[in-house]
Amino acid sequence: MSKPKRLHPLSMLFTVIQTIRQMIVSLLPPFIIAIGDRSWLILGVATSLFLVLIVIYQVLSWFRYTYQVEDDQIRIEQGILIRKRRTISKHRIQSIDLSQSVIHRIFGLTKVQIETAGNDHNIDAKLHAVRMHEGKALHDHLKYNKHQNAQDHEASEPLNQTENEKNAKHYPSKTIRLQSLFIAGSTSGSFGVIIGLIGVSFSELESLIPDHYYNRLTNWVFEQAIPTFIFLAIFFFILLWAFGILMTLVQYWNFTITRYDKELFITRGLLEKKQSTIPLKRIQAVGINETVIRQPLGFATLYVEVASGEVTNSPEMYTILFPLIRKKQIAAFLEELLPEYRYTQSSMAHVPKRALPYYLVRMGVLPLIATTIVGIFAFEWIVLPLVITVLALILAYFQYKVAGYQIEGDQLTLQSRKINKDTVFVNHKRLQSFKLKQHIFHRKQDLASLDTAILSRFAGRHLILKELNEHDVDRIANWYSYRNEDI
Amino acid sequence: MRLPPTERIAADAVKAWKVTAHLVTVIPLLLTVASLILPSFVDFFNYWIGAGLAVFTIVLWVFSAIILPNLRWKRWRYEVFDQEIYIQHGILIVTRTLVPMIRVQHVDTQQGPILKKYGLATLEISTAATTHEIPALLEAEASDLRDQISELARVEQDDV
Repeated sequence: MSKPKRLHPLSMLFTVIQTIRQMIVSLLPPFIIAIGDRSWLILGVATSLFLVLIVIYQVLSWFRYTYQVEDDQIRIEQGILIRKRRTISKHRIQSIDLSQSVIHRIFGLTKVQIETAGNDHNIDAKLHAVRMHEGKALHDHLKYNKHQNAQDHEASEPLNQTENEKNAKHYPSKTIRLQSLFIAGSTSGSFGVIIGLIGVSFSELESLIPDHYYNRLTNWVFEQAIPTFIFLAIFFFILLWAFGILMTLVQYWNFTITRYDKELFITRGLLEKKQSTIPLKRIQAVGINETVIRQPLGFATLYVEVASGEVTNSPEMYTILFPLIRKKQIAAFLEELLPEYRYTQSSMAHVPKRALPYYLVRMGVLPLIATTIVGIFAFEWIVLPLVITVLALILAYFQYKVAGYQIEGDQLTLQSRKINKDTVFVNHKRLQSFKLKQHIFHRKQDLASLDTAILSRFAGRHLILKELNEHDVDRIANWYSYRNEDI
Repeated sequence: MRLPPTERIAADAVKAWKVTAHLVTVIPLLLTVASLILPSFVDFFNYWIGAGLAVFTIVLWVFSAIILPNLRWKRWRYEVFDQEIYIQHGILIVTRTLVPMIRVQHVDTQQGPILKKYGLATLEISTAATTHEIPALLEAEASDLRDQISELARVEQDDV
């Protein structure tokens, strides 16, 4: 494995597409101006020139991009004019992920992402397209073959050994059932986002459809009776719902999580197959997220907070451990796949009754002010802010109901709610700092708030629990304190 | 309630904070003066704005330069143990912070012109996820503490 290798030629296709996609936004304005002026010739010439330049550039960079696997490091050389050489040592590699888009799968290729611990994601290496077996070999070599081997043929032997070991030993694994995926999709609530998208595209469509068609259409719609309207609305809603389910299915198809000795391994995706590795020692906390829709049905999502420099475009703040699971099964799931964290629902210490006013005031004060203002200036609209106030107070009550903590050995469990119920398990050594906060009224009532921080994908995440009993916070402080001293 | 930390920050901190507050007050003061002069030249500007600003400036000055620094100083406590750093601060909302030594990533001291005048420095302690501050320590004390903490924090760090 010592000869420098190039990527599969098809990787040029990916980089060309990627560059065009990145540049399209900045090129759109001149493009539109040119169309407006009807200067087709200039437009055609400019576009083709531009495309040719991109293609030439990408061909050259493909030609100059080589990678090379040595004993315990991977070396990458790149750059057309400025040559860059990068060596990543095996010990510094946090994870190697293989992912395949549709095009990759047609040609039996895979994308390899090598991630290191650093905060700078530019340091990480990305091989856009290599043959599948090559990618797998790379993965196994850099990940499992930890012994130093001078020669190639020697290197392959322990590799096989680890493969055998892997097969021989049974690693616990869980795959999501189709049924659960359907439930996950239908309760995802992602249609809110989709409605927004469709709204935007409709307002765009308006300018594209010729005027008289548009007018005729709107006239037709307005001529219809109300039942037709309702029917249309319901139909539209169901359509969106189905689309939401479809999206979830595509994204989490065949979601499988496997526990190896030192890492969790996740594969998922229908069109685009994605693999990801979560090294156990990067896991900062495990959480259960129960959305308002899922909680009454007894379902939850499991996630982990991972310290990572990876900057992704995905809106998810955390890494999904399992998209949908029955709440009753969580304890068993963790025991099998992640025995480092325990979930016991009993003996959760809750916030005392005298904390309730604080919760109600905190949530209720803003809508109440809004209600007052509306009441003074536009009394006929009073119902709207009133409803919002009531909803806020109900939410506040449930926030109060849910808030609680539990200490079990090295593990602190914090339960709280913003809108969704969130239960987080953190290990003692993952807590970066501990804060007790108390304002004047708290002091008189023996209440205190607690604020701890863990490391997450973006800098830190604060876990906050408001208005606990003061002695409870003290208890947690004593548990957290590294001084062995009883106060 | 656990006992508060024992060490206080330097007594000169009050002076330094007062000087800072005086300087900060200059900005609303200038605005006030401007809005009191302006109505003599243009019509649309009202004297009430100037009067309001004047009240605001005086209240701000009284609070930030006379009342708060003393209270703030009284509340500020810290204590450095071998295993952790214990900090207390806050006037209305009292905050007590525990930072374990093994979580400390790095320690800085910093000093602006005002602190320098009084021979003071601020100590800043960073973990991977948070930063904490002990303001206005004596220069020598701050640098000793910095060295001491970085020494204590050098115990074997397990990941992150």
